[in-house]
Amino acid sequence: MPQTYEDLEDQIIKTARGSGSFRRMVREIFQMRRDSAALVTTVIITAVAGTLYPLMLGFAVNAIIARNVFYLELFASLFFLLYLVQFFSNRIRTISSTVLAQKEIKSLRDRAFQSLQYVPEAFYSKVKTGYLISRITNDAETLSEFLTFQLPSVIAGISTVIVSISIMFYKDFNLTLYALIIIPVLMVFTISIQPRVRQNYLRTRKTIAAITGNLAENISAIRTIKAFNVEKRTEDNFRVLNDRNFRANMKASQLSSAYGASIRIIEAAGIAIVLLAGALQLIHGVTSVGILVAFVVYVQEFFDPVIQLSQLYNSYQSSLVGISRIYGIIDQPKDKEPEGSESQVEFKDSIVIKGMSFSYGEGNALENIHLTIRKGEKVAVVGHTGAGKTTLSNLLLKFYRPEDGGILIDGRDLSTISTRSYRKLMTPVLQDPFLFRGSVMENIIFVDPGITREHVLELINRFGLTDIFSSLPQGIDTNVGEMGRNLSEGQRQAVSILRAFARDPEILILDEPTSQIDPYSERLIIEALREFVKDKTLILITHRFSMIVLVDRVVVLKDGSIAEEGTFNDLMKKEGLFSSLYNIQYGDA
Amino acid sequence: MSKFRGILIRLRGFLGVFYPMIFAAKYLAGKRTVMISVIAAGILASITRLLIPVYIGDAVTAIESMSYSGVLHVSMLIIIVSSITGGLQFIVSYGSQYISQRFELSMRDSVFHHLMRKRFRFFETQTSGDLLSRTTMDIHAIRNFLNMLFSQMLPTIFLIVFALYFLLTINPYFALIFLFSVPLLIYAGMAFQRKQRSRWRRIRTYYGQMNERLQENIVGNRVVRGFSAEDLEIGRFSDTTESYYDEYIGVARLRGFYNNLMPLIVSAAATAILIYGGYIDVISASDVGPLVAAVNIFSVISSPVSSFGRLIVFSENARAGIERVSLLSDSTDEEDVDTRDRVRPDGDLKIQDVTFSRDGRKILDSVSMVVPKGEFAAITGKTGSGKTTLTSLIPRFYDPDEGNLYIGSTEISRIPLTNLRSAVSLVPQEINLLSGTIRENIAFGNEEVGDDSVRNAARTAEISDFIESLPDAYNTQVGERGITLSGGQKQRVALARAIVSHPSVLILDDATSSVDPETELKIFRNIRKDLRDITVLLVTHRISALKFADRVWKLDEGRIIPVMDISRDLEGITSGAGISYTGVGNASDV
Repeated sequence: MPQTYEDLEDQIIKTARGSGSFRRMVREIFQMRRDSAALVTTVIITAVAGTLYPLMLGFAVNAIIARNVFYLELFASLFFLLYLVQFFSNRIRTISSTVLAQKEIKSLRDRAFQSLQYVPEAFYSKVKTGYLISRITNDAETLSEFLTFQLPSVIAGISTVIVSISIMFYKDFNLTLYALIIIPVLMVFTISIQPRVRQNYLRTRKTIAAITGNLAENISAIRTIKAFNVEKRTEDNFRVLNDRNFRANMKASQLSSAYGASIRIIEAAGIAIVLLAGALQLIHGVTSVGILVAFVVYVQEFFDPVIQLSQLYNSYQSSLVGISRIYGIIDQPKDKEPEGSESQVEFKDSIVIKGMSFSYGEGNALENIHLTIRKGEKVAVVGHTGAGKTTLSNLLLKFYRPEDGGILIDGRDLSTISTRSYRKLMTPVLQDPFLFRGSVMENIIFVDPGITREHVLELINRFGLTDIFSSLPQGIDTNVGEMGRNLSEGQRQAVSILRAFARDPEILILDEPTSQIDPYSERLIIEALREFVKDKTLILITHRFSMIVLVDRVVVLKDGSIAEEGTFNDLMKKEGLFSSLYNIQYGDA
Repeated sequence: MSKFRGILIRLRGFLGVFYPMIFAAKYLAGKRTVMISVIAAGILASITRLLIPVYIGDAVTAIESMSYSGVLHVSMLIIIVSSITGGLQFIVSYGSQYISQRFELSMRDSVFHHLMRKRFRFFETQTSGDLLSRTTMDIHAIRNFLNMLFSQMLPTIFLIVFALYFLLTINPYFALIFLFSVPLLIYAGMAFQRKQRSRWRRIRTYYGQMNERLQENIVGNRVVRGFSAEDLEIGRFSDTTESYYDEYIGVARLRGFYNNLMPLIVSAAATAILIYGGYIDVISASDVGPLVAAVNIFSVISSPVSSFGRLIVFSENARAGIERVSLLSDSTDEEDVDTRDRVRPDGDLKIQDVTFSRDGRKILDSVSMVVPKGEFAAITGKTGSGKTTLTSLIPRFYDPDEGNLYIGSTEISRIPLTNLRSAVSLVPQEINLLSGTIRENIAFGNEEVGDDSVRNAARTAEISDFIESLPDAYNTQVGERGITLSGGQKQRVALARAIVSHPSVLILDDATSSVDPETELKIFRNIRKDLRDITVLLVTHRISALKFADRVWKLDEGRIIPVMDISRDLEGITSGAGISYTGVGNASDV
């Protein structure tokens, strides 16, 4: 049972794994020594300067009362100087905090992307594309706000509070105690509402996730929605989700607004206490007016970091979830390259499949397959839909690992061979002819700059594909669009075939390579292939028989096992599964 | 003179900070009272907030004159006024949330509504990742700014205005000093806004690029691996994140300067007042209370002013968002899927002199054909010959440049789209199943469809045996959290979905290509048997399917030609399909 988005999120917030991820990120950030040193230094300078200026203000007031113009000018200048210091330190702080945040985000994104290139292929069948994209884009983005603004301002706030309390105690111990009376009230109040804040937060996250999911699905299915004219109903469904999100947000903001308002009142009470206590002390001659003025400013300044801290909670929570998920992607177990470090640059002898079984979960997709393919041999794997043909090709391509048994290349176990070198030997034409954005030409050359335009044109000509591309507005320089949508299925397949053939590999695996191409063009391809694969090893996966002429031997799969095996003529004579499959297509209908 | 005009133009540009508010107004119809109340509460709250420094000044004066009862009185006032401020602030912050959330709610609904009605061509020019970010991130950016506007930006402006007033009552010269700083503040804001705009635009572009690269890489991961393109892909992705990073740092440099310049300006004014006021106090031997009040006013406004720079960032983000979302916020490029009448089109399918071009290239050239009601017709043709284009004209996914299509005697452009599309079912090559159960996918939004109909449709599509073999049968989840179906299984579920509500015309655009020919023929026979009056138009290359059809056309260079004898007339399209096996290198035609 796959976990739902909400389950996962809940779990991360509850378990310690979340804060572990957070610590890991902080460690990574502190590894950028220069920038983090700059940040910490400037945060502290800013905070100290910030706590000193009420004091300067107080001194200036005392100077006025003492009618001392020199001190007035001195302390007023110091007052401004502190702001100037703050200006410069804040400037560095702003830049270094952004540098740290964005560097970390970039590195997380790059590492997650890199990880995706090496995770086992099976990972992709468990997770949705939209989910991965939003982890790497959105979740990393939430970190930006948190790391750039929230975290530095909280550190600054905490240092302000510490420095100002120290100064206050130093200046007037008793008055400080009065000034701090309000702090426990503030703390208890803030902590007591946290469970509700969290609940609200979870609710808003859940509802917005539902909206994004719904949108993503409907946008990608828009053509189907229109074809079946269910626009209205889709819209109604969306409205419900949208409304739910609205209500969750309003509920959350009710609490946070009430909190903000209460903080103001608590703050006022704090100021009043300081004024009253200060007045009493002043009457007893223990303190000065200037100090009292400074204290009033200090009390006001306590509250900013507290409000920031309480706002930080949501941001912290969502960053925590985001960061845990990104690390989740980064830490996905990889296809073990060390284990397969031996490189295989040449294919000399044979591919041997030995007692191989594989399952996607329930029931075996392949069971106890034994098959030997010699170098230069051409073999077709046929069978009904779902018989396990594509699974076999996925295993041969090392997209998946066999559960039992194995594949030997020239006597060496495939799992010990480096994937990269192996894939240079074997090039696939996959069932789904996926194309990248860019022109037809760019898709054919794909990765290999050694392939020239002339060579591609020659191939197109040799395989009789000129006509197929002739209807495109800019011929082979036509942009194929997202997922190749500007091309027809058949044209996409033609590109996919050329992409593989242009590499001139030793072993070709073709999985239904021509299913969408018209039979005449297909025949031209077959004629040309005959020459092309002469010295190559060919593994052809198909449930159609048009290409059977190319192969020496046919393997018939049924429900994950080999049902028949032999040459075309043998199998036809046998009048088994193969001949019945064949007759449906080409027999007398 | 011209310099002055230049300044005016710039000032007007600066006022564009408020543009998102004007844009949002049309999504907030009927919320005017709320908006006025929030603004009014904001004005009152800024007055009461500024009263506190005034009272503190009074308290200091009272303390100086050793009047304890005076201090007590002022302290009480501070608590009362702060409570009022608290109440007003609740209204401001809750009200701002309400306005902005309300905006997001109605904007999202409206955008979704428009999105569902855009023409097919529209979706060809957009990537799905980009559409998604427009409908989520961009609206979100506007919402965020609206919230900031009502809860922070407007109150800050009021705060500055009233600060000026209070300073005026304390000492007109204090007000004058402060007045000098205001143009500087505005200038700093303007420069900041102007300089960062292009950067934000680029940040958005790179963000979109990141999305696209990811999507492509993930969907095409097998190709990436199959061709060992991992390193290349990693490099390209890293280039995008690098550009994104650079732009962000550029913004940070601007922010580092301008954002901190604003509080510096305010503090310079405060220092000037402190020195000037102190000097006067010393000379005139007057109370220090009013001066303390004046300096305190500055400390009240300095933190809102320092966050003003951030508000400008939000505004820029919102404006970029508006620009992007405008693609989806009006009715351009839409089709009418809302009207419907009771008449359901029925009869022969007639295509008359239809011509269709794309990007200046003629794809269909005066195509005419008739499929009599109840017949099973097929179109074949070379890859890229325009078969899919032709069939997508029938449910009007596209309209022809010239010529007409008819169902019965009615021209299809006169049939409400809703009626047309419920009468014509098209099963495309590419199948999209939505997350939900198999049953939901087959019934697909049509509540009139009962369980029996779903089962019958599945039986006709030769998928019922498979579905019933699953533990949850028709309630099995497919899509996001469900089981993975093979290509052929998906195609058959899509076929069941297309026939469940008994369309009059069924178009199968190579819709059974992943189904083996044996099963395919069974399906065709079932359709014949179970859906008696249905007109079927089949796009296929398979000779077995062509043999089954009542009549066959071929498309060749944009023209349609009837095929009389499929064993002879399909030279160049299907001939070659029937190569019989006579040994390698010795193939011959049937």
